[in-house]
Amino acid sequence: MRTDADGTNESGHAILAWQIGVGVAWLAAWEIAGDVTGSTWISRPSLIGARLLTWARGDLYIQVATTVTEVVVGLLIGTVCGILAGLWFGRSPLLAGVMRPIIVAFYSVPLIALTPLFIMFFGLDMLPKIVLVTIVVFFLLFFNTFAGAQEVDADLIAALDLMGGTTRERFQKVIAPACVAWIIGGIKVALPYALVAATTGEILAARRGLGFLLSDAASQFDMTGLYAALVVLMLLGLAVAGAASGLERRLLRWRHATG
Amino acid sequence: MPLGDGEKIRLVGVGKRFATRGQEIEALRPIDLAVQAREFVALVGPSGCGKSTILNLIAGLLPPSSGEVFYDGAPVAAVNRRVGYMTQKDTLLPWRSAADNIRVALELKCRAVPKRQAAERVAQMIELVGLTGFERHYPAELSGGMRKRVALARTLIYEPETLLMDEPFGALDAQLKLLLLDQLQVLTRARQMTVVFVTHDLGEAITLADRVVVFSARPGRIRAVREIELPRPRDVFTVRFGVEFARLHEALWDELKDEVVKGTDV
Repeated sequence: MRTDADGTNESGHAILAWQIGVGVAWLAAWEIAGDVTGSTWISRPSLIGARLLTWARGDLYIQVATTVTEVVVGLLIGTVCGILAGLWFGRSPLLAGVMRPIIVAFYSVPLIALTPLFIMFFGLDMLPKIVLVTIVVFFLLFFNTFAGAQEVDADLIAALDLMGGTTRERFQKVIAPACVAWIIGGIKVALPYALVAATTGEILAARRGLGFLLSDAASQFDMTGLYAALVVLMLLGLAVAGAASGLERRLLRWRHATG
Repeated sequence: MPLGDGEKIRLVGVGKRFATRGQEIEALRPIDLAVQAREFVALVGPSGCGKSTILNLIAGLLPPSSGEVFYDGAPVAAVNRRVGYMTQKDTLLPWRSAADNIRVALELKCRAVPKRQAAERVAQMIELVGLTGFERHYPAELSGGMRKRVALARTLIYEPETLLMDEPFGALDAQLKLLLLDQLQVLTRARQMTVVFVTHDLGEAITLADRVVVFSARPGRIRAVREIELPRPRDVFTVRFGVEFARLHEALWDELKDEVVKGTDV
């Protein structure tokens, strides 16, 4: 095992070196191309960097905070509700049978298409985006948890029942932990979707947020601003993905255990 | 030689059929069987003779197709929470370490053992089943024999009044098996447990049991019942070398061997 680890480490360094090299080369090529063709349409990394600095000194934090708040609040509500509903439905065949067609029908609507509706209902501020994020996240978590709850090994449940576990303890000690892998899977998928939902909502109608920054730049043919906003979104997306895999490593330690 | 204060378990005309792929299989032909309180009964027979089914019926995990199972005089209608059941397949919770798996029964509200006391009992159990040093390992990191021992510890720790065991020591090496047989004897007698013990190892059955019940090959029927009147406590390490043991073994093997041959034919 040890030599393996060293081996991957070494090749890891080589890969990192290559990644940096390719990245730098790409930025240089972009810079030159922008310089040669004039920067109107493709802008230049140096201009984008300068713009980011200007924004950072200005109100960028408000835009980021707006989007992050929408994502985090929507994620929290959607995740909690999705998990609870998934566990509940997943362990109740009757409820699952009755509700399945309704939920599938609802899920078949591209949820992003509901954005205009929510904007009508809830105005231009954060609320419609939070609702959108919540619904997107809810469904992803619901479906994953639902599947997980139905897959729980009946023998494990029987074992706890025989020990005298209550229905509640059955959920706490067997069903919920057994669903953790599914729930984490759901969250991993939901995180990028949450960001997509919040940004889309902002692009359509907003006064703040990264999506607003994006559509605002586009409406003024400000390519540098557009790219700068995309860079910020990309960084945010990376942070979100990092958080997801960190969570997975922490909660699923037992899965990586091998004999 | 049950010390008995009455009957713990009674099966009256209990049979079990399973329907698989439209075909009906008779796992257990209707049988009658009674187990006294504090009695240690071993069920022996070829594989597929319905021994495990009997345990599932007593545990209330399966309803009988015919007849009725009584526990403490009342019919078993739902999961029987009075029994501890160590199934053949270890049903450890994969996300819990060995120690946490062993502790699980003590965490339940119906027992509500204080944390500190629970930790002490878990430590004792771990030592008892020889798992010291593996407390923090997850089931996936343990060998089959170790997982069996975790399952055993998890069942013994809450001292259920009745213990159902389905080939608990199948995957263990001979030395360890004897040690655990010894511990099991000491524990079940000290706690005055009633035990129904399924095994295919006749020696194991005679070593531990007050009564050995030999089953026929599928469909399972009771072929022979024999009281084991070896004095208690038995020395599990040497009892098998005694004359009486050899006599019992031979007599029971006579009953069993035809069935084993039949069983392997199927």
